[in-house]
Amino acid sequence: MDWHQLWEIVSTPDNVPIVALIPLLAFYIYLGVKQARANDQLIEQLEADPALARTHHRKTWPFRPGWQKEIHVWPFLLRVEFLAAIIVTIVLMVWSITLNAPLEEPSNPNVTMNPAKAPWYFLGLQEMLVYFDPWIAGVVMPTLIIVGLIIIPYIDTNPLGAGYYTIKQRKFALATFGFGFLLLWVAMIIIGTFIRGPGWQWFWPGQTWDHSRLIYEVNRDLPDIFGITSNWGKGIFGAIVVGGYFAAGGLALTLLFRRFMAKDFRRMSILQYSMMAAFMLMMIALPLKMLLRLLFHIKYVWITPYFNI
Amino acid sequence: MNKKTYVALLLVVGLMFVAGCGKKEAPPEQATAKPEAAAAPAAKIDPATVATVSGVAKFDGAAPKAQKIDMSQDPACKGTNETETVVVDNGNLENVFIYVKDGLGNYSFDVPKTPVKLDQQGCRYHPHVLGVMAGQTVQILNSDNTTHNIHPSPKDNREWNESQPPKGAALNKDFARQEVLIPVKCNQHPWMKMYIGVVKNPFFAVTGKDGKYELKGLPPGTYTIAAVHEKFGEQTQTVTVAAKDSKSQNFTFKAGAGGAGGQ
Amino acid sequence: MAEQLTPDHDPIVTRSYALYYLVAILLLVVSLFWALWDEAYGQRPWKKYQSVFQERYGAFLKSARSQSAQAEKEIQGDSEYRKLADAADAAEKQAAPAMKKINEQLKEVSARLLAVQNVFTDKRAWVNAKVYEIETDDSESGKKSKQRDLDKYKAQQFTVEFPDGSRKQFNFEQLEEEYTALREEKARLNADLGDLLKPVNEAKTKRDDYLKEHLVSLTPEQIAGLQKKTADWDNKIVQINVASANIVDRCESCHMGIREPVKLTPASMAVKGAKPDEYAHAFVSHPDEEILKIHDPDKFGCSPCHQGNGRATTSVTKGHGDYEHWLWPLFARQNTESGCQTCHAADMKLSLTTGNVGQVISEGKFLFRQRGCNGCHRYEGYDREPEDLLNVQQQIKQKEEEQQGNLRQAAMLTRQADNAPDNATANRLYAEAEALKVANSRIAGQIEQLDFHSRDLLRDLKKIGPDLKEARTKLNKNWIPVWLHKPTDFRPTTKMPNFRLNDEQIKAISAYLWQMALTDKLPAAPKGDTTRGKELFETRGCLGCHSIGEGSEMQGGDFAANLTRVGEKVNYDYLFRWIKNPRVRTRPYCPYEKKDIGPEDYAKHNLPYQIDFEHSTCPNDGHELQVEQMTVMPNLRLADDEVADIATYLMTQRQKDPASYPEAPFMDDPKLKAEGQKWVRHFGCAGCHEIAGFEDEGRIGTELTVEGSKPLERLDFALQTKKAEEGKEVITDKAIQARLPEGPAKADWYNHKGFFEHKLAMPNIYDQGMMKPETEKLRMPDPHLNKDQIQELVTFLLGSQETSLPASYQYKPEDWRRDVQEGWWIVRKYNCVGCHQFTPGQQTSWQNVRRFQDPDWKEQFPPKLLTEGARVDPEWLMRFLANPALSQADTHRNGVRPYLKIRMPTFFFSDTERRKLVRFFQALSQQPMPYTPERLPVLTAKETDMARSLFTSTAAPCLKCHATGDAAHDKIATAPNFLMAKDRLKPGWTERWITDPQSISPGTSMPSGLFRKDGDHYVFAGPTPSSFEGYDKDHRQLLVRYIFQLTPEEQRRVSSQAGRAPAGKKARNPAGSTPAGVQ
Repeated sequence: MDWHQLWEIVSTPDNVPIVALIPLLAFYIYLGVKQARANDQLIEQLEADPALARTHHRKTWPFRPGWQKEIHVWPFLLRVEFLAAIIVTIVLMVWSITLNAPLEEPSNPNVTMNPAKAPWYFLGLQEMLVYFDPWIAGVVMPTLIIVGLIIIPYIDTNPLGAGYYTIKQRKFALATFGFGFLLLWVAMIIIGTFIRGPGWQWFWPGQTWDHSRLIYEVNRDLPDIFGITSNWGKGIFGAIVVGGYFAAGGLALTLLFRRFMAKDFRRMSILQYSMMAAFMLMMIALPLKMLLRLLFHIKYVWITPYFNI
Repeated sequence: MNKKTYVALLLVVGLMFVAGCGKKEAPPEQATAKPEAAAAPAAKIDPATVATVSGVAKFDGAAPKAQKIDMSQDPACKGTNETETVVVDNGNLENVFIYVKDGLGNYSFDVPKTPVKLDQQGCRYHPHVLGVMAGQTVQILNSDNTTHNIHPSPKDNREWNESQPPKGAALNKDFARQEVLIPVKCNQHPWMKMYIGVVKNPFFAVTGKDGKYELKGLPPGTYTIAAVHEKFGEQTQTVTVAAKDSKSQNFTFKAGAGGAGGQ
Repeated sequence: MAEQLTPDHDPIVTRSYALYYLVAILLLVVSLFWALWDEAYGQRPWKKYQSVFQERYGAFLKSARSQSAQAEKEIQGDSEYRKLADAADAAEKQAAPAMKKINEQLKEVSARLLAVQNVFTDKRAWVNAKVYEIETDDSESGKKSKQRDLDKYKAQQFTVEFPDGSRKQFNFEQLEEEYTALREEKARLNADLGDLLKPVNEAKTKRDDYLKEHLVSLTPEQIAGLQKKTADWDNKIVQINVASANIVDRCESCHMGIREPVKLTPASMAVKGAKPDEYAHAFVSHPDEEILKIHDPDKFGCSPCHQGNGRATTSVTKGHGDYEHWLWPLFARQNTESGCQTCHAADMKLSLTTGNVGQVISEGKFLFRQRGCNGCHRYEGYDREPEDLLNVQQQIKQKEEEQQGNLRQAAMLTRQADNAPDNATANRLYAEAEALKVANSRIAGQIEQLDFHSRDLLRDLKKIGPDLKEARTKLNKNWIPVWLHKPTDFRPTTKMPNFRLNDEQIKAISAYLWQMALTDKLPAAPKGDTTRGKELFETRGCLGCHSIGEGSEMQGGDFAANLTRVGEKVNYDYLFRWIKNPRVRTRPYCPYEKKDIGPEDYAKHNLPYQIDFEHSTCPNDGHELQVEQMTVMPNLRLADDEVADIATYLMTQRQKDPASYPEAPFMDDPKLKAEGQKWVRHFGCAGCHEIAGFEDEGRIGTELTVEGSKPLERLDFALQTKKAEEGKEVITDKAIQARLPEGPAKADWYNHKGFFEHKLAMPNIYDQGMMKPETEKLRMPDPHLNKDQIQELVTFLLGSQETSLPASYQYKPEDWRRDVQEGWWIVRKYNCVGCHQFTPGQQTSWQNVRRFQDPDWKEQFPPKLLTEGARVDPEWLMRFLANPALSQADTHRNGVRPYLKIRMPTFFFSDTERRKLVRFFQALSQQPMPYTPERLPVLTAKETDMARSLFTSTAAPCLKCHATGDAAHDKIATAPNFLMAKDRLKPGWTERWITDPQSISPGTSMPSGLFRKDGDHYVFAGPTPSSFEGYDKDHRQLLVRYIFQLTPEEQRRVSSQAGRAPAGKKARNPAGSTPAGVQ
């Protein structure tokens, strides 16, 4: 184990946000889950006891009789927010004093730094570049992400869970979020920061970032494995595979939905559902593609003169 | 907001510090300091306790015949002249320069005001080997009826070469640094050669015809005494003298011992 | 409905946040102050430095001042000063009474003047006003009336009351006269006063000047000034800003002592009794004020020489640029001189006076040439001859094209002219055409010159290693593979580096060289005598460049090969030819045909097979031939028997019998030839050697001109990268570690310095641990350098950077200084420094040769050339350099100093090089070129007599040592013949020389004190002949004129008069072990 190397990475000023990100995420997830669990208990209680439900005016735990039903934003909310603001200010000040901006030498076109990394919040996208061609990873995907975020309110028909933490009532939403944000976004940032070394090669934590390291790895396109050579062939084959994935995936998704989230399914209009399904499948496609690459060394599935997937 | 929140926040701040420490600059490297030389106080000699070292320089083996030097090149050079490189009188070696090379510690000696005389007569130097203290004046006379030039070729002192007209005014020179046996010659009379021993202390002597020498007034102690001969090089011996005693210390030079110039 | 009261146990409503807020606010305030502190001090560490400097420097100045005051007292105490002081006082006293009188008069006069002035000015004002009215009045009558008023006014009587109470009446004219009179009076008195004061002031200034001159340190006043400056210094960034060169250096914000007028050492800046700390070291003054004088920091700043980040002020590390992202870190102390490269990259000699300035870097540069690094690595300015040659050849091509163009143009114009509409145009066109033809004839001339120049350059081309075409004629066949295996085993001090060759490579290479070598047979040479050979070898001059003996036995120069085992490798006949004249080639090479021309080619064109600089054109195609060996070894002009003796002696220099070398049959195996050629090319042997088939071979190494600024990423540390970063040493062999300038690595050496040092100590270090085929291994051979040499080379390489400074900063002199640089290149090329001293204190090879330790041999040292340019006539020097024997007939001798056993050899300089050398010598002694010889007045008969009598008097030593042409006498002569003076010397120099030779060439056998000053001129120190009675001119000039007009007859006459005994009686052994027959 090369602890020195690990320390090098962790202690780089650029990486402070990411180093901080990990405990912070952990903490807030813990906080959220804790409250959600409490609320879920309450909800069960109320569902079980309609009498109480009638007298009960708060949906959030904890609750004791005789407590106020409503409290004012001022002072009860603002004072907390203000306290938070002060603390954040302190943190930022201390941070800016202790760590100077990591300036580097005058840029030299003959020398590119290795590894050359994007700012931490883009490392996820940069990581995607490994698996997709620039056009897909750099243009299409970000667009899809934004569009996806935009349409969430339109396809989310679940009225529950507004204004209080709950898992029970928003399983699907939470799962999707967990998958999309934690797994795809955060995880890839962490990979990009700690795992990707010189030449964007994969170094496990504690492995030395050796510039002259050589590894043997051949990535092949799926059509080649099936011995398809002609461009047309490849195009069509790819289209079939991808199409197949969406068809099969769509089917599977619908079955699962019917089975486990019948209520949501019923609420959704066909348009909403198909939208959701499409984005969901694309989202799932991403890690699948990554696995294909990492486990089976498959470069592209669908090859056309215009784009590769 | 509860305590746990605080703990967590402080933890985050702490993390950033840790990260920060990694990039703190190293303190400026400390260059090694050079020690200041300390001048020890100069001791003085107590005349009541001084001792004497004396002895004879012997020559072992057949003494080379002194060759006659032909001085007809310069009619002004009268008289006879023989090579003085090795002058042996029944086993006693003349012209050996003897001095205290080491052991005087930090005694300080003041330079005598009286000059040492070096005469040029009959196109030869008198004496052939001369002892002088560093900084002491050497008064050079020319009793010949021809022009000489005095040309010492020292290693550690300043080199000079001055001409002196017949019976000309005396030249007063001195040598700043200790250097034993500075060869001196006259470019116009190539056979004219002599040697000057410059020493930092007053304890030096040149053996005479009988090969005898005497170092007077030594404070008690252990000394390295060196005997230097222009041809046979240097010999050293250690001698310890108590207060007021007089030791005898002989040197013996062998024929064919290494001399200067690898000849 | 009833508002229900807040129950006190509602967690949200009732909880108090006071504590949280308190803590948070406190933290906020703390961090706020922290931020302020950081802004004021944390980011400005130099403030601390400045305050520390203030107190320490203040303390230092305090003591310095008291010392200086002490010194001042002492000086004021000494008699000289007292004399001056008394003089001043005396002058003052003496002037006092007169001054008193004048002052009184002045007082009185000025008082009177005042009185008159009061009245006069008023009246004059009235008059002027009136005059103006008259001038501007346009009516005649008005003019008249006003004129009348004026006259009336002028006629009036005015009363002046003088200070003594007396009154006097004046009309206007009188008043005016009185006024001017008084003013003149006053002026006169003031003048007198001035005259009176003059001597007094002069005396005073004399006194004060004396004080200033004799005060070694600064005067107390000056120091007081410094103290004040230091005391009321307030913290600020000290910055040098040179916009034109984009230099911004704030180094002096901490290094405040750098430019102080007093010498500051770490000890003196340390706290009393404490060891010097980081501050003490930071505050020292610049170690070399001389350099600062030449390179004024206000123009050059600091970073151009020292590098580092001149702008940074936030920390020492930042300022010195010792952090990852700064490309120009401060040069390490040992490599400081790298900085010189910034502007002096092309200069071979950085200081004309002493060797001390830029010694390391200069040695590095010399090593780079001397070890033939530029055989593989190009470095701008280190291949002058080949590059100049190329450039000249291109010029020739251009000129020829230009000629062609002109001809075509001319033809066209003529045609146009022939059918031009009118004669005027026709004539104009004809004229143009003719102009072009004329231009062509000029160009022809240029081409001719360039062609000669190119010949010279071809002649100046040298190779560092021997010509391997001669391998067969020269070498012991079986020795070659042994040598190739590891040259240092055979000759530890050889220039040839150790190539890491395996047996196959050795076999192939030696086979190729052997089979490609010329097969011509050499004539058998006569044998000689060993003992005489040894004698000659040690005294003729070989040891100026060559050394002999190994280890402590070694003596001689390190420029050329050590000949201890030469007897094992060479053939006698070749050695004979070589010593007789090293430049002789077995066959000349024709660069055009690319082949060695042999007798057969000459026979074809029935020409005699004769090759020298007169017959240097190819018989086949008339191109210039390479007629010389490309060696710098000169011709010692030895007689055949001497050559035979030396050669025979050298053949005895062996440690084992040449026959005992293992047979190498593979040398003749033709199959190995191709393989051999491959390896010869692979290892770039042709970079240093002349090898058949490789005459135009390119270089195999990387260019190093800007190696120092190569990005670190481009220096391939290979597998050593990590170790280097962690500061671990990768060289395990103790012997090789010892080559590292600072010993085994202690700290991070992942930087240029570390890379170069390790590369030079062990060139294949970056192959360590790698698996490569032979052809891909690092090719750089092991130059077996010692740690000092490596340091010098590394210093040189570190400095080799692209500079951001404007061209005006580059040292590109066009005047005499360029001559020095060009000349020095040649001087080092032919190792003139091996025998001659150019700057005081410079060591020559002869100083370590054993037999020359004897004082009698001092006269046998080759002459010092400290002031050669001031001494000799350039014209003569040209001749001398061409033929040091100064004679066509008798060449086995020294032209100027026949008495020297060491012989000035013939170097076959090309005219270009000779001219450069002459200019160099003139420049080195800062003599103006061209040189105009002084016209000496012809001696009168009387003067001739006088000079002669002085020359022959026993008192005058001249003829005792100076050669006279009388063989017997010249045997013991130790100085040149006077007859040469006329052509050779400069009269002025000769005069200075005979006055005090020691100050021109310290240690010369020519004595000083021959003349003593008598009034305004010099007279002979000894008793002068009677004829000098009443001669009041300078005796030196007389002698010089006599010497410069000396004729052979005159000389013969004089020397016979000088009473020299006939030769027979001399009991000398000139050929003996010591010169001048002294044992």
